[in-house]
Amino acid sequence: MEKSKSPEESRKLLDKITFDLTRSIVKRDELTNFWYFFLIMFAAVGLWGWFIQIRDGLGVTGMRDYVSWGMYIANFVFFVAVSLIGFLLSSALHLLKINWAKPISRVAEQVAIAAVALAGIIIVMDMGRPDRLLNVFIHGRFASPILWDVTVVTTYLTISILLFYIPLIPDLALLRDKGTDDIPKWKMKVYTLLALGWKGSAEQYKLVYHAMRILMLLILPVGLSIHTVTSWLFAATLRSGWDTTILGPYFVAGAFVAGAAAVVIVMYAYRQRYNLKDYFEDLHFDYMGKLLVFVCLVYLYFNINEFLVPAYKMKTAEGIHLRNLFTGNFSVMFWLAQTFGLILPILLMLCKYFRKPLPLTIISVFVLIASWVKRYIIVIPTLEHPFLPVQNVPDHFKHYSPTSIEVMITLFSFMAALLIITVLAKMFPVITIWEYAEDKGIEKEIISEPKN
Amino acid sequence: MIKKINLIFVAILFIAQQGMGQEWLVPEDQKTLKNPTEYNLSNVKKGKDLYLTNCKSCHGDAGKNNGLPLVPPPPDVTSDIMQANTEGELFYKITNGRGGMPQFGSTISEDDRWRLVNYIRNYNPANEPVLVEAPPQKAKLLASVNETEKKVEVFAEVEGNDGKFLVLANASVSISAKKAFGNLPIGEVLTNAEGRAEYAIPKDLIGDEQGLVNVVVSLGEGFVTDPVILDAAKVGQPKQVPKLIKKEVLWSTNENVQTWLLLSYLGAVGGAWLAIAYVVFQIFKIWRVGKQQE
Ligand code: HEC
Repeated sequence: MEKSKSPEESRKLLDKITFDLTRSIVKRDELTNFWYFFLIMFAAVGLWGWFIQIRDGLGVTGMRDYVSWGMYIANFVFFVAVSLIGFLLSSALHLLKINWAKPISRVAEQVAIAAVALAGIIIVMDMGRPDRLLNVFIHGRFASPILWDVTVVTTYLTISILLFYIPLIPDLALLRDKGTDDIPKWKMKVYTLLALGWKGSAEQYKLVYHAMRILMLLILPVGLSIHTVTSWLFAATLRSGWDTTILGPYFVAGAFVAGAAAVVIVMYAYRQRYNLKDYFEDLHFDYMGKLLVFVCLVYLYFNINEFLVPAYKMKTAEGIHLRNLFTGNFSVMFWLAQTFGLILPILLMLCKYFRKPLPLTIISVFVLIASWVKRYIIVIPTLEHPFLPVQNVPDHFKHYSPTSIEVMITLFSFMAALLIITVLAKMFPVITIWEYAEDKGIEKEIISEPKN
Repeated sequence: MIKKINLIFVAILFIAQQGMGQEWLVPEDQKTLKNPTEYNLSNVKKGKDLYLTNCKSCHGDAGKNNGLPLVPPPPDVTSDIMQANTEGELFYKITNGRGGMPQFGSTISEDDRWRLVNYIRNYNPANEPVLVEAPPQKAKLLASVNETEKKVEVFAEVEGNDGKFLVLANASVSISAKKAFGNLPIGEVLTNAEGRAEYAIPKDLIGDEQGLVNVVVSLGEGFVTDPVILDAAKVGQPKQVPKLIKKEVLWSTNENVQTWLLLSYLGAVGGAWLAIAYVVFQIFKIWRVGKQQE
């Protein structure tokens, strides 16, 4: 935290910060319209695919008796993974009092909310009869990892929304009081409503800090659970490739990789689009790069464990699975994902140059795509080798390839996630203004002063 | 040294195993074992019953050469291969088995194994057969169900030498119930001098959901008839069918959940949501404080 400034200086600085950080809310040009059009159009195409799937049944997908989890579940695991970054950036680092992460925490929360919301939606889209969704709760069995997963996803979504909302309250009040005229009227109404009559008194701040602290502590176990439980969906079976005790931490480590990459990309987009070079500084990218290298290394370590140990033994079924990954049908995907998603990024990001905003963002794009592919080859190859006698089975039961409907619906999930992030950025400042201002040495009284 | 001998022994055994397709060697002292049971009708009959339950599935019916097509094949009991054995050899082979031939040393008592030998011996050309199977006779079987008294009434006739049918007395009639996977034997009766028999169906016989039973009546061996099938006789107890799908669950129900699992789940979820409720309450407090300061 910087030294406190004189009231005059503070007011001027606060005005500038507020002006910069409301740019995302105010700005609306051709590109905004095009971006919305683009997202909504593709999302609509996906929804059309979903409509066809509901009308004709899951037969329109490539999923059959043996490979009953396809691209949807791979995609689901991907989104759950991405959402975990909220836990790391806005809770773990916060609690450890790592200051550089503060401005990033709202971006992380946006990504987390979008990802975990989509994870939930994808599960519904994977159901043949989504109208029976409630049966999961009414008739669910407590022994089923699927029920645990549904519970933990909803819990995590709730906590993420709260963790997004509570630090937002003072900002909403600030916008309500100091917002310029170019903010649309309806948005101002929303701010007034959501600001809950915030006055900025010490008592209210105390409550905000208290609630945030509880949430940050709460999200630690819940965040860990969300991905650990997702891994148990796999690890609780006897299938080769899934039946390993390392799967929980393996998934969590992989999740940090995917999430950190996603946050870097979103950060870079905000920095360029909303001209926030002074807020998402080179320093932040540098640190994010270091964080990404760190989690990649952890993930690499788990990967080595996950593959080297069984590959040393090559037990019958496990051997078939591993050969399939290393040299068989999935080898291209496997080695591309490992090289471009893990090994090369690690090597590159160890150099300072590649932790600059643009190079880091490009690397992050590769890492993110690779982590999606990674989820695909976690889910599908194992299912193609069930421990069942598979003689006399139609050939297309044994191999899986996604159909265009599945691709459309998966496309929908990406568009919808981006749409959520976009709407959040267009509605609310992408950095917590009051926290940032306080860090720059502006007193709380000045922040909550009414407009003069 | 001992190890080496063992190794040689194993090697010899292995080589012996390879050569077994041709000859089945029986130790000299076993070959000459004397059969302690007497070769008489009673022992041969018992041997036949044992054969029918334990051996027929592979070796087939005596004299019909209809054993299972295994390699090496299980020889017919009347065949030369079988009969070339001494009694001691037969006993040894039945006791110890080899390859596709199971060992019966632990499942059939010593006496009974000797009775099996007696049964096989019944087909030895050098022996006077004690169990002579007459050619099957043509017979007629009539049966009906008396539902009120829960009885099966049977009348049997057999073809005489002149082609006329005569009353079949003192013949064994077996009664069974037709089930999804074959017939369940429920009892046997002998026909009286008039060729008639009555069988009282056990009170606890279970039928289908309405208590209906398909009763199958057939004559014992030695007769050629079609069994009489009495469809849907109301003579059994209704079957209590447990409702398999009580609730809309797959595979298993919540009653099967282990307590530790249930407690961990409820504990974790309850804890998390209590904390969430507490945070929501803080939000409410923020609003109330703001209101008070107006
Ligand atoms: C699972 C099938 C099977 C069953 C059941 C079975 N056998 Fe055998 N039996 C064989 C086969 C196969 C051979 C030939 C084995 C060989 O020559 O290696 C054989 C061989 C024999 C031989 C030796 C014939 C020879 O080569 O000298 C005797 C004796 C014999 N069985 C008696 C019996 C008796 C008695 C029973 C019932 C208690 C019986 N088997 C049940 C399969 C069976």
